[in-house]
Amino acid sequence: MKETNDIWQGTLGLMVLKTLDVMGPLHGYGIARRIEQISEKLLTVNHGTLYPVLLRLEQEGSIESEWGASDNNRSAKFYRLTKAGRKELNSEAQHWQETTEIIARFFAARGASR
Amino acid sequence: MKPVRRAWNRLVGAFFGHRREADLTREMESHIAMQAEDNERAGMTLEEARRAAVLKFGAVESSKESYRDQRGLPQLDLLRQDLRYAIRQLRKTPGFTVVVVLTLALGIGANTAIFSVMNRAMLRFLPVHDPKQLVYLNTTLSFGAQSGDGDTSLTEYIFEQLRAERRVFSDLVAFAPISNQKVSVRYGREPEEALVDVVSGNFFTGLGTAATIGRIFGLEDESSHAPLAVLSYDYWTQRCGRDASVLGRPLFIKGIPFTIIGVAAPDFIGVEHRRPTDVWIPLQTQGELQPWGQPPAGGLSLYGSAHNWWCLKTIGRLQPGVGRTQALAQLQPVFQRAALEGALRNPKFDKPKLYFTPARGIDGLRDGYQQPLTALMVMVGLVLVIACANIAMLLIARNAARGREFSLRMALGGNRSRLFRQLLTESLLLVTMGAGIGWLFALWATQALATWTQLDLNLSPDRTVVLFTVGVSLLVALVFGLAPLRSVVRTPLGLALRTSAATANQDRGRLRSSQVVLSLQIALCLVLLTGAGFLVQTLRNLQHVDLGVRTRGLLVFGVSPQNIRSDAEMLRFYQALLDRLRALPGVDAVTLMRQRIGSGWSANASVQVDGTDPAGDGNSHIRWNGVGPDYFHVVGTPVLLGRDFSAADTASAPRVAIVNQTFAKRYLAGRAPLGHQITRGNNEPCTIVGVVADSKYTGVQEKEMTMAWFPYTQFEGISGMHVELRTSGNPAGLLPEVRRAMIDFAPDLALLQPMTQEEQFEQSFSEERLLARLSLFFGLLAAMLVATGLYGTLAYTVNRRTMEVGIRMALGARRGQVLWMVLRGSLLVGSIGVLLGLPMAIGGARLLESQFFGVKPGDPRFFIAAAAGIALVTLAASLIPARRAASVDPIVALRFE
Repeated sequence: MKETNDIWQGTLGLMVLKTLDVMGPLHGYGIARRIEQISEKLLTVNHGTLYPVLLRLEQEGSIESEWGASDNNRSAKFYRLTKAGRKELNSEAQHWQETTEIIARFFAARGASR
Repeated sequence: MKPVRRAWNRLVGAFFGHRREADLTREMESHIAMQAEDNERAGMTLEEARRAAVLKFGAVESSKESYRDQRGLPQLDLLRQDLRYAIRQLRKTPGFTVVVVLTLALGIGANTAIFSVMNRAMLRFLPVHDPKQLVYLNTTLSFGAQSGDGDTSLTEYIFEQLRAERRVFSDLVAFAPISNQKVSVRYGREPEEALVDVVSGNFFTGLGTAATIGRIFGLEDESSHAPLAVLSYDYWTQRCGRDASVLGRPLFIKGIPFTIIGVAAPDFIGVEHRRPTDVWIPLQTQGELQPWGQPPAGGLSLYGSAHNWWCLKTIGRLQPGVGRTQALAQLQPVFQRAALEGALRNPKFDKPKLYFTPARGIDGLRDGYQQPLTALMVMVGLVLVIACANIAMLLIARNAARGREFSLRMALGGNRSRLFRQLLTESLLLVTMGAGIGWLFALWATQALATWTQLDLNLSPDRTVVLFTVGVSLLVALVFGLAPLRSVVRTPLGLALRTSAATANQDRGRLRSSQVVLSLQIALCLVLLTGAGFLVQTLRNLQHVDLGVRTRGLLVFGVSPQNIRSDAEMLRFYQALLDRLRALPGVDAVTLMRQRIGSGWSANASVQVDGTDPAGDGNSHIRWNGVGPDYFHVVGTPVLLGRDFSAADTASAPRVAIVNQTFAKRYLAGRAPLGHQITRGNNEPCTIVGVVADSKYTGVQEKEMTMAWFPYTQFEGISGMHVELRTSGNPAGLLPEVRRAMIDFAPDLALLQPMTQEEQFEQSFSEERLLARLSLFFGLLAAMLVATGLYGTLAYTVNRRTMEVGIRMALGARRGQVLWMVLRGSLLVGSIGVLLGLPMAIGGARLLESQFFGVKPGDPRFFIAAAAGIALVTLAASLIPARRAASVDPIVALRFE
């Protein structure tokens, strides 16, 4: 797939936020796994690219991080959605919804005119 | 909100991000480990699981890199990287770094220091409200005033007439010191020397400066001649420890009580020449507190009906919108009318004119210091140019030596702008360090300059000086910024893969340009060395002038008796003082003089011989002095004819005078001098009883003058005198003994400016000494810089030409020929430099002429000496590289690569 950095980072960010919203606090590996599962491997990314996105979200104040222990008692950094992050997620989700609806209508309209 | 927050976090990240670096590594590792565990659970072997996990994660370092880019500000990070790299590079070559930084520090520091003095003496405005509206009033009268400054002195009457011109001046203030030196002031118990000015009532308000504590004078204080005093802030600090309770306390000036009413603003040090004023008092009528100088015969008061005491200096504040020409046009008739009423003594000055000088810098200093300071400024400027050229060459050579590194970096994908940034950072770092140390050096050097010039002034740098230094540093930085640009542009990509011998041809352009720079440096160095030669010779001439006075073994100090009402009482005081001092152990002889010799001051008067004007043109003047018994014996001036003064020349004895040789030659040509009558001004005629050899009066530079001496007992209105003590021992060692005796003799009297007579005469050429020393220093510095520059360049080229030399020698060139080959090059550069510099040096010497003493600016010896010096420096600097070239072993050289 073609990835211009901004769009990719934007969508990946949204996925991260939604994941944390659904799953609660989670470490980077968990987030990556979850995104893979949900997208049913349609979206396979290098897990490494996740980290700059996590940093940006943290810098923006949408998520917070804290070191903790994983299920296997391995120390990992856990990310958690903040209040601002939840607000951001809601507005972004709505925005996304609107955008996809409009795009979908365009595709539908083109089919009908033919 | 979001972008702001993010920007802030990035900024924080830029400075504290390195702490997160370890955090990130740990996080990524834990990620990979968890993935590996899952893989293992899915049935992979340990090794496979790990491998798959790493593959899944992708490129760790590239992830980290993009993480870092987001974390901080990449520009800032880049700068930090450049800085760190630059510091590492500079540390690798500490010798180079130290030389460059110190050279720069010296250059920038010296420029700042000289500029500080120049700024203070010539440029800075008075620290008062709207100083640009202020003007000093000058007159075209240079002779005729009774104060030391003929062209700035007005009578009190003229001052009042001009002050009334409200259309021109919003205020006009008057001031004058009460003595041309410090006077005895007592606060508390011990008397001290202080500089006291009498001022008009509107002095502070007119200048526009306020009191720190207490109040300043009002016009009513002037009209009532109130016994009130305002202290300067510095005097208040030193003498009273900034004690606010000084207000209302008494202060005794020459033994007369005053009440302290206020302290002036912290930065206001007065408007006097050279020294800061300590105490201001309103204009007074009492004899002892009159303005300085010699009141006209018969009257002691400023306010007499004759209006003929020219002693007040004035500063006017022009009305807003009144131009200077317009102001002068309105003032001229008023001034001339008042001046004529002021009974000008000499009809030659019937139409005196007023003119303004701006109130900048220091009155009286501006003119005296302009030339030497400008000369010094030019000299340090040249030194800085030479230093910069040197460092630029060093930098270029250094960067050239790193050419391989650069081209390797570019071959590996580095870009030119990045490389340029890197080199620029290095240059700027050097300049910043140089400027920083230079600033510290300047602070020290400025103090040293202040001490040497005997400018008792606060020379601490102000904003102008800071701006100057920053400007100079930026200019230097620009030059050094261009040096790396050149290196970068010139770096060819393939250099890394080629041998240096093959690139020797590409060095030719660089060599030529460095030869041009070297020639210019040598030219400037010649100018500096020639100037230094002239000035040092001037100083030597001054030091060896025959003073006509045996200064060795003489101690001099001033006394200013207090509360003495009559001349007879004054004579008794001095007689007792002489007797007392004569009795001290170690004192061989003692005498008195009215003006201190060597101090720059003198009394001047018109003179008649046997009732007629000896010069015949109405212009017969003498320098005269009132002196004590045995005067010529004590100071060591030979009496050629007749006798010295003696204790028998009392007030009631016949009036006598002694003249010098020049007087006898000029005014008594051909006649036997003894027995003639001379008349000084309007005084009684005196009989010449002796002729003495010519001697220096005001200072070392003084030309032959007609002089006469009179017994101090034989004229009216004597007050302060200077005591001259002769000892066979060390005169300075006598001082504590004398001090003790004086406290015993007159507890209220301070010893005024005690010093040896040798020091006193040396002070008369302190400026010349300073100029000579600094110019010599700068000249030698320039020569050293030229030598190092030349050496560096030659060493570099010889190194690059090792193989060429090897081939030449293998083909039969002899060592002498190789030696000559290298020397010839630098001698050529030297000769071109000298030829370029010679016209500049000749022009420079002509410009400096007014600072010379006993040397002619066209004297070829100095140019030849400077050129010889340069030849010597050139040879010395090139000999080592030349010998190294000549000692090249052809076999080794050919294997060099």
